[in-house]
Amino acid sequence: MSLKRGLDVWKLGKVNYSEGLKLQAKLCSRRKSGEIPDTLLSLQHPPTYTVGKRRTYHNLLIPESQLKSIGAELHHTERGGDITFHGPRQIVLYPIISLKDIHFGARRYVETLEAAMVELAGAYGVEAHVGGSKCDTGVWIGDKKIGSIGVRISSGVTSHGLAFNVGSDVLDYFKNIIPCGIAGKGVTCLSREVSPRHLPLPPDGIIHDQLISRLSRLLGYNQITCREDINIAQ
Amino acid sequence: ISTSGRLPSSFTPLSRLFSSSVVDGLKYASSHEWVKPDAAVATIGITDHAQDHLGEVVFVELPECGSSVSQGESFGAVESVKATSDINSPISGEVVEINTKLTETPGLINSSSYEDGWMIKVKPSTPSELES
Repeated sequence: MSLKRGLDVWKLGKVNYSEGLKLQAKLCSRRKSGEIPDTLLSLQHPPTYTVGKRRTYHNLLIPESQLKSIGAELHHTERGGDITFHGPRQIVLYPIISLKDIHFGARRYVETLEAAMVELAGAYGVEAHVGGSKCDTGVWIGDKKIGSIGVRISSGVTSHGLAFNVGSDVLDYFKNIIPCGIAGKGVTCLSREVSPRHLPLPPDGIIHDQLISRLSRLLGYNQITCREDINIAQ
Repeated sequence: ISTSGRLPSSFTPLSRLFSSSVVDGLKYASSHEWVKPDAAVATIGITDHAQDHLGEVVFVELPECGSSVSQGESFGAVESVKATSDINSPISGEVVEINTKLTETPGLINSSSYEDGWMIKVKPSTPSELES
């Protein structure tokens, strides 16, 4: 007997970080009460630095007052992980799913997020790997990070998720932080790492879809429903 | 720690549900927290099974002494593998002591879930919650 496991995918385009936080809080609450099924948000953010629950502001290398001049915002969140950056040409996925329904613990869930990004890189001929130690969660090419993870789990329902760098637009912004609190390591993106035969990369929307497809399969979903043109203010 | 949709209202004195180690004298909530009742104060932590599913704990957030906790509601959180997981209280009451060792050594939750890795001590407000 094959169980139908459905995932609602919301393709949101560019979303302001605080709007994204409000939306996740709303959806998380509705998921906990069973009003909505497992849902995955696919989006991008305008230039935004974020810190997690540990409030590691010390890893921001420029004064907060300078952020506006470079067109960036700073937000704190309740997710795990250190400081990171979100911006153009970076895929952001926020699964709002019930871990107990899929019998995953935190560790296995995070490993699955990593695996999806490693697979996606592999599809473009890029050999990525996961970090070796507790501080290195995420996806790396050599000692440069291409994919980051920061998750919150509340009563078994996830929010926040992963960010995967596609274009180089974000890379300069990463110079203003010690990314994920790990000094001495760099950051990279797919367009810098693929061999010339994979260039030009397909449009970002296609790469988003590819990552969504891999992640949803690894999480065990066999029925995906996509929604676009959603009014998130509702 | 994931919980079922219902409040964790049933306890088993000796859980045979988990393959990871299990300890006498504790009661288990269905959501992977344990409660050790002891005279007027109950000690609360998470199970060996739960810590195994979390991965190595790097940060623990605990409530302040004197604050109240409610059965089924979050009282704190742990961070592991870049994930913060809320920890829900199996009982209601007042927090009378917190394990300050967890600030310096959060890994105690992994290495000693039932002893040195205890999280909070609570004066129960509703003793019936502790009955199986």
